[in-house]
Amino acid sequence: MNTREITVTVNGRKRTVNVEVRRTLADFLREDLGLTATHLGCEHGVCGACTVIVDGHTERSCTQLAVQADGREITTVEGLATGDGELHPVQQALRDNHSFQCGFCTPGFVMTIYGMCEDKKAGRPVPCSRTEIREELSGNICRCTGYQSIVDGTEAALAGTAGKES
Amino acid sequence: MAGGSAISGLVGARVHRKEDRTILTGTGRYVDDVQARGMLHAHFLRSTVAHGRITSIDVDEARKVEGVVRVFTGADMSAITEDLSFAQPIPGLHSPSYPAIAHDVVRFVGEPVALIIAESRYIAEDAAGLIEIDYDILDPIMSTTAGLADGATELFGDVPGNVVHTDEQLFGDIEAAFSQADHVVEQSLDQHRWACNPMETRGGVATYETGSGQLVYEASTQTTHTLRFLLAGWIRQPIHQFRVTANNIGGGFGLKFSAYREDVAVCAAAKAVGGAVKWVEDRNEHLVAAGAAREEQLTLQAAVKADGTLLGLRVTMKLDAGAYPINPPATVYAGLVRTTLPGPYKLPAYHFQHHIVATNKASYISLRGPWAVETLVRERLMDKIAETCGISPVEVRTRNLITLDDQPTKMITNVTLENVTAAETFQKLVEMVDLDEVRRQQEAARAEGRLLGFGVGTFIEPAPGTQEFWAAVGFPFGSEPCRIRIEIDGKVTAFTPQTPHGQSHETTLSQLIADELGVGFDDIRIVYGDTDATPFSMLGTGGSRAATMASGAAVYGARELRKRVLEIASHMLEASVEDLQIADGVVSVKGAPGASVPMGQIAMGCWLAPDQMPPGTNTEMEFVADYDGEGGGFSQASHACWVEVDQQTGKIEVQRFLVVEDCGKMINPAVVEGQVIGGIAMGVGGMLLEHSAYAEDGQYLTATFMDYLMPSAPELPEIEIEHMEFETDKVVGSRGVGEGGTVLAPAALLNAIDDALAQVGRPRITETPITPTRMLELLGVIEKE
Ligand code: FES
Ligand code: FES
Repeated sequence: MNTREITVTVNGRKRTVNVEVRRTLADFLREDLGLTATHLGCEHGVCGACTVIVDGHTERSCTQLAVQADGREITTVEGLATGDGELHPVQQALRDNHSFQCGFCTPGFVMTIYGMCEDKKAGRPVPCSRTEIREELSGNICRCTGYQSIVDGTEAALAGTAGKES
Repeated sequence: MAGGSAISGLVGARVHRKEDRTILTGTGRYVDDVQARGMLHAHFLRSTVAHGRITSIDVDEARKVEGVVRVFTGADMSAITEDLSFAQPIPGLHSPSYPAIAHDVVRFVGEPVALIIAESRYIAEDAAGLIEIDYDILDPIMSTTAGLADGATELFGDVPGNVVHTDEQLFGDIEAAFSQADHVVEQSLDQHRWACNPMETRGGVATYETGSGQLVYEASTQTTHTLRFLLAGWIRQPIHQFRVTANNIGGGFGLKFSAYREDVAVCAAAKAVGGAVKWVEDRNEHLVAAGAAREEQLTLQAAVKADGTLLGLRVTMKLDAGAYPINPPATVYAGLVRTTLPGPYKLPAYHFQHHIVATNKASYISLRGPWAVETLVRERLMDKIAETCGISPVEVRTRNLITLDDQPTKMITNVTLENVTAAETFQKLVEMVDLDEVRRQQEAARAEGRLLGFGVGTFIEPAPGTQEFWAAVGFPFGSEPCRIRIEIDGKVTAFTPQTPHGQSHETTLSQLIADELGVGFDDIRIVYGDTDATPFSMLGTGGSRAATMASGAAVYGARELRKRVLEIASHMLEASVEDLQIADGVVSVKGAPGASVPMGQIAMGCWLAPDQMPPGTNTEMEFVADYDGEGGGFSQASHACWVEVDQQTGKIEVQRFLVVEDCGKMINPAVVEGQVIGGIAMGVGGMLLEHSAYAEDGQYLTATFMDYLMPSAPELPEIEIEHMEFETDKVVGSRGVGEGGTVLAPAALLNAIDDALAQVGRPRITETPITPTRMLELLGVIEKE
């Protein structure tokens, strides 16, 4: 087995691990680190279920290798909510809007929308209209919802209104 | 609003889902999330030919790979399992049995030919690449026409002429209907294969405990109990030593209703190696091998009067069943189409004939409203009748629809309609759309060289249907149990045979129980997906039954326990039962708040010292309710769809989509809307984008999401929903909405496209999907291939 040692910071925690060079980043996160929130819906870069944040960029973890992440910083869904049960405002916005059903696509959407909100915080351009939000979400597939509720949740997340209406 | 510990009035509110914390934080447990010590991984090698005889298989090199634990050929597997059989005593049904892993003949590209068990999926796939197989290629049958042709190669020795089942049924005097007709309107539709494609594929983890002989199969399934009893026999596992569980399930849409040969092989492998084996198919395998739906060809002939009144209908359906039967038997699909097709219309005479044909494709499976083609062809026929008679699509429906005033009445297929409001939803829809304005806009658009289309449709959804309905279909309409328990501290646990996978049953059942029992929403837990814990039901989650059936069971169960609690409290508080109330888990005397006893105190007494509770009271704090559905019933809806067709590129944009739906009393409108919108999205995707396509030689062509196009957010419109909540005198007035969106949306959409085509003098659609290429052919811009 051809392996290499890599050091990555995942959700703020530094990990040095020996990985097989052919292992995908997604499999590394799920199997080696036990972070199973990152899901695999296609393993060929289309569905977005495996979306994570790598060095501040929203990326697919199924189409890159773990060794490519050496020295990088990764955020997965496990890194959003704090341990005390409080949801992250993005998660709360999606919950308020009944955005999801079966939940399989959900971590990928959460990370994509989280990425948008981080862009907004950093003063980078973000989608404004619902049509633009739909375009921005086009890299994530959901089979259950028809997306409308996810667009609702994204609007609320971007507006920062989570939990403000009951 | 939030759930909290509200005391009543939750039913009907947009209560936050219980499921959401788990799924939004990624802490769910889907099959692939299961990690057990020493767990092994399964990978199937699959046939690369559509039809062939295996002449040799050499697995020696694969067995030598470090980390490979076992390799099963078909022969190895058949030595430890029974063939799968879905045969039922249905006259004329030819349901061949087949092995978990093929060892003689392969009948579709993707059929399992070997199973590798290894320490990791990577190693198992490496080993699969070293297996050598030779096939003698046989002629593949790739269409119903080819299958039915004289002298066609037969797929199975016990399916003569490749006909799995054929039947015809006559209702009323069809000859008289056609002899009285002013017009005979004909229509045909060749629907393509498309697939469920839940975001979580099929999979399971089988764990065999060698000491006790127990087997646990944690599966991605819609029905734990049925999976258990089907598998037990095939894997020779005593059923009392076999437990099937399900945790989070990433969608099913009908696919996960059956048991599959992979389930058999994985469970048998776990027994053979004496440990835990995980199988999760990848998307490529899923697209190729999991099966697909909807491949049906229908021709219709309608006898109509000059004013558009329907007199009679002749229908022939050919259904492409693929190679191997699954659950339910194909006759159920045919029965559903036949029984439902007349829909909410007056139809005096009807003749229906079907041929179910075996072909060299993956299995024909259930997909969200498996009968949907009946609505698709009927609603398109109504438009063609309108065109023939020179009336509008609205008029033709209004003249033929069965209104509430006409009910109770019987469908020509012997199903009583009562409280069915399809006509009323249609009336409401028509009121919300200014048809003249639509026509003016279309004219204005044409003047600018743009092409707009508008279409409508209406239907009934057997959700759950009635006894008569299911008898006509040929499928049992079972009752539904729910075990409900007041725990020692007054909190509530309810056990349902439902296996929810997105339908929000943890939320809706908790809402119902909270309102009935007077306990907090957060003080209720719904347990599902465990054959050791939940009461038996054959159906699990499917057929949009839960809104009525699971709800009814929960309501009746909660009522019985409420009665017991109140009787005990009436002794303790020295008040009559009628004067008591339960709020937030406390029983008190109305108007005397000081006189109260917490339910937890009553429950503790009942569990720990029942003999000290008031004599003559029932102290059992657990009860299994069984709900018969109170006769059952139907949901109904009407849809309107606006499209713009780009005449240069053939692209179809759905600009607007309006729904008027009536599923009776809504338990949670947010859940209803989620089901409706998600269902419509699937119907639109199925018609415009998705295609499980085969080449003539039987190769599967759309094996990735780059080829099998799933609808994404920009391809779908904003969907507007108007709710009607027709009230009946039933205790549970809620009806299902899980499938209807997918059933009706294709009809409204295709009618809109046909409307656009008619405006430029082009013929109607006869084949799906309506890809840009097909649209350009329909427009006459390019030649048909
Ligand atoms: S799993 Fe990575 S994009 Fe689908
Ligand atoms: S919620 Fe099921 S796939 Fe998105």
